[in-house]
Amino acid sequence: MGQLAQRIDGLGQRRGGKRPFFPLILLIVGIIGLLLLAQAVAQTDNFAETWNLGLRDVLNEFKRWVVVNRNDHWLFVFFFEPLSAVIDFGLRRVEDLLLWLPWPVVIAGTFWLGERIGGLRLGLLTAVCLIPMGLFGLWAESMQTLSLMVTAVLFALALGIPVGIWTARSPRAEKLLRPVLDAMQTMPAFVYLIPVLLFFGVARVPSIIATIIYALPPIIRLTNLGIRTVPADALEAAEAFGATERQLLRGVQLPLAMPTIMVGVNQTIMMALSIVVIAALIGAGGLGDVVLKSLRRLQVGSALEAGLAIVFMAVLLDRLSAALTHLERNSQPRFKGFRFFSEKQRHLTWVRRIEEVIETIYQACGRYASWVNAQVGRVVKDGRMGQWVRRYPNGVALLLTLLLVSILMRLLGLGDFPRVLRVDIRGVVDGLVQWMQVNLYDIGGSGIGTGPLRDFLIISVFQPLQHFLAEQLPWTVVAFVFAFLGYQAGGWRLALSVLGLTLLIGLLGMWPFAMDTLAQTLVAVLICVAIGIPLGIWSAHNDRVEQFVRPILDFLQTIPIFVYLVPVIMLFGTGSVAGLIASVLYSAVPVIRLTNAGIRSVDETLRESATAFGSTQRQMLTKLEIPLAFPSIMLGINQTIMMVLAMVIIAGLVGATGLGLEVYQGFANDNMGRSVEAGLAIVLLAIMIDRITQKLAEKTAVSANITL
Amino acid sequence: MSKVELHHIWKIFGPNPQYVMESLEKSASRADVLSQTGHVLAVRDVSLAVGEGEIFVVMGLSGSGKSTLVRCLSRLIEPTAGKVLINGEDVTAMDEAALRELRRHKVSMVFQRFGLFPHRRVVDNVAYGLEVQGVETAVRLAKAEQVLQLVGLNGWEHHFPHELSGGMQQRVGLARALAVDPEIMLCDEPFSALDPLIRRDMQNELLHLQQTLHKTIIFITHDFLEALKLGDRIAIMKDGEIVQLGTPEEIVARPVNDYVREFTRDVPRAKVLTAAAVMNPADGATAEQSVTAETTLEALIPRVLSYDGLLAVLDEAGTVIGSLDRRTVLLALAEG
Ligand SMILES: Nc1ncnc2c1ncn2[C@@H]1O[C@H](COP(=O)(O)OP(=O)(O)OP(=O)(O)O)[C@@H](O)[C@H]1O
Ligand SMILES: [Mg+2]
Repeated sequence: MGQLAQRIDGLGQRRGGKRPFFPLILLIVGIIGLLLLAQAVAQTDNFAETWNLGLRDVLNEFKRWVVVNRNDHWLFVFFFEPLSAVIDFGLRRVEDLLLWLPWPVVIAGTFWLGERIGGLRLGLLTAVCLIPMGLFGLWAESMQTLSLMVTAVLFALALGIPVGIWTARSPRAEKLLRPVLDAMQTMPAFVYLIPVLLFFGVARVPSIIATIIYALPPIIRLTNLGIRTVPADALEAAEAFGATERQLLRGVQLPLAMPTIMVGVNQTIMMALSIVVIAALIGAGGLGDVVLKSLRRLQVGSALEAGLAIVFMAVLLDRLSAALTHLERNSQPRFKGFRFFSEKQRHLTWVRRIEEVIETIYQACGRYASWVNAQVGRVVKDGRMGQWVRRYPNGVALLLTLLLVSILMRLLGLGDFPRVLRVDIRGVVDGLVQWMQVNLYDIGGSGIGTGPLRDFLIISVFQPLQHFLAEQLPWTVVAFVFAFLGYQAGGWRLALSVLGLTLLIGLLGMWPFAMDTLAQTLVAVLICVAIGIPLGIWSAHNDRVEQFVRPILDFLQTIPIFVYLVPVIMLFGTGSVAGLIASVLYSAVPVIRLTNAGIRSVDETLRESATAFGSTQRQMLTKLEIPLAFPSIMLGINQTIMMVLAMVIIAGLVGATGLGLEVYQGFANDNMGRSVEAGLAIVLLAIMIDRITQKLAEKTAVSANITL
Repeated sequence: MSKVELHHIWKIFGPNPQYVMESLEKSASRADVLSQTGHVLAVRDVSLAVGEGEIFVVMGLSGSGKSTLVRCLSRLIEPTAGKVLINGEDVTAMDEAALRELRRHKVSMVFQRFGLFPHRRVVDNVAYGLEVQGVETAVRLAKAEQVLQLVGLNGWEHHFPHELSGGMQQRVGLARALAVDPEIMLCDEPFSALDPLIRRDMQNELLHLQQTLHKTIIFITHDFLEALKLGDRIAIMKDGEIVQLGTPEEIVARPVNDYVREFTRDVPRAKVLTAAAVMNPADGATAEQSVTAETTLEALIPRVLSYDGLLAVLDEAGTVIGSLDRRTVLLALAEG
């Protein structure tokens, strides 16, 4: 009851307490003043060329220096080159293996892995995910992407887990690293490509390096978290029995942190996948490259094929690694071997029949495995090998068989995915696209259709907004508004740092581009919020809706960012509008999720008491649920904004204007300086927006007495 | 020489315990220290000695510093001041390695909230102490099986802790401590999470183990009846200090203050008190009948009911050490 009163109290404070009255006046006065000032000192409405840091030339100079000195400067000879060599070596081995293995063996191996981790269903799902890659004729490209992934993720884990352990043990290290990780997680994937390009040039190794760096934060964070949350009593017990630091780590902390670490592995894998695909831009090859090339040539069909292959890869990797997070500790052997249907369905005859078939196959496999093992046992009797063989009888049998089959198939020339099994959807898709361009562009000449919509968005929304932000509004006013928002959210310190960041963007010479990106971001965010909040509220109130929406959201979150562009340009062609639609699809998820979660977490007792006072549905929503869910909704908006920003920038690849396009053109024209400037501007913009919205979410949470 | 000796142990929690320790007036109470410095005076100048093979019970209300005191013994918590001797060796002066040796071989602990490792099977939990010592797998598993047998858990070796009931988990904790064959066992409220029936079983089991294995046991509880049942001697703590230390009867018969008396209130005095604890000193008056010193009041009641005279109390040798009559017995029963 006390808590209840306190929460209601908190609400009252938020509504009836301090109003930002004084700052509002300050804002109005400030804007008028600045407008007058801008009029007076004409030409300050745009960041003049004279106010440029001139970073571009310095960087291009540096790039030239790198090219000249790559072969003999110690920095390259003793650091970058060996680093490249190690990564290259790893990548080549993995790639050779995956490309050498015949496709049925890869599928069988994946099936087995899935079955071990999550049972028959997962095994089948993962195996089935691989098949379309072959059907689309993209087997080799898929294996290339997979090897990039495997290599990058292995390096990321090898680096991230020790760092995570280190931060868990040293508060100093954590304090040092936390802001770095925060900053890393606000930077859009695209930006990571720039600095590695500067040092390594276009090739596969730099893309792996970018991937490793981009995918590091979650594994570091969650290793740290996992170890820190190991129950203190288990630690004390281990200490009481005289465990050394090492024994403590290996025997207690790491095993107990494992589920959390696995969440980190899952996140790291998904992040790595999203950037590996984009890294095609700097020569990573694989599926991303197919998408990119097809998009450039406007071959939507083949882009879609590769896009789908990426989606299947994403689903496969996600489900596999997610299953690792909830392996149970159970003394009973996991008797899920031959269950495919649930208990409830077992009364159906045909279900039982299928289960019986599966069981027979299982038993046959078991007999076969023990036979192989007996043969192996005759050869390897003792030593480590022998122990290993006895411990994993099935694994050994399977590996041997797969190896044998592989060699045989390679000898017979059967290793590659057969061409006859080719399913061609690109023809169909290209036809469809054409049909849509003809028929949906302007349906029946009525002025309704994708074409007019696109024109409307560009001519009536983007261009005026961009024009307004970048040209009509003096930059001083924009900066002041940002600073004001910063002040509202986090006080003077945030206001000042926001002001600094805005100035820097201007000084980089990126003001108009940043305003362009900002305009697109604003529009996309508004649409996301307009769709997301009602949808979130609806699904919070209706379990059916939630059940329907949830898997869709899960799926949307699995798809790597780059892939969203493919279906969108089918409808809207290239340009900012395609970027906008893709942004909305990609970014609406967190608002929906967190609105739903926020409202659902409203205390039942509060609802009851509101009903007891005779609230209508509507009053319940506006007076109780939304205010209490507000911090959560704000958090969702924060995440959505960050995702929109990432997408708007990637949309540069399909011709959306703004900072993304700047980076991209820098790449294309061998003007690294330009790319870096634009990349830096992106980072500054991202950090600024993130800090403001995050602080706002925290602030609303504090004033509503809620912990996020 | 006692097995375990504590000399003037102090423990202060807070950002700067050493400073507080030095500036502390030796008579300052816990409340004073807290209000003046913000530090928690968890243990305050405790000295005691535990003999070999003794069950020494520490009891007191929640927050009185029992856990802290016992953890100071193997330096799971570092005492702010004072000295701990085990087998005459100064534990407080040991380096990391020596301390680890001590924890591995001499002192083991049973925890209030079990402290089992959730990711290890029962048998691996029990073998943990041996594992960190580097004992070979086969040997340590055999030993673990043997100890599990002792606590009646054979058949559960390959289950995980969360699959066991609370009482069974506690027995795993006990087995884990026993598996390393320690000389000294520290038990921090090992039975307080158990229901009364299992609890009684476990108490009996502990007494039984003690008779067969002769460990030195330091046992924490805040249940006075448990203390009476198990303890050879009992130390009662309040606000970090020992307020009374003695045998169960001494404490029931002569509580030093209200705090202690409060504990003894619910005690079935007739069952605990003996003739020796309630008698008046021998004053030369002659008595016609006699009782032995160990006779409980419960057994005395029928005697004094049927006989309204003076009863002599005899020790084992048969010498008179005191006397009592109906009045003495009634007073002893009524007190508290
Ligand atoms: N790590 C710590 N930091 C600060 N204060 C502590 C710490 N551990 C214990 N204390 C304080 O020391 C005092 C004694 O705690 P202790 O755990 O020894 O009590 P206890 O007698 O074991 O109580 P219980 O019967 O509840 O287990 C308490 O006031 C507690 O708040
Ligand atoms: Mg305690």
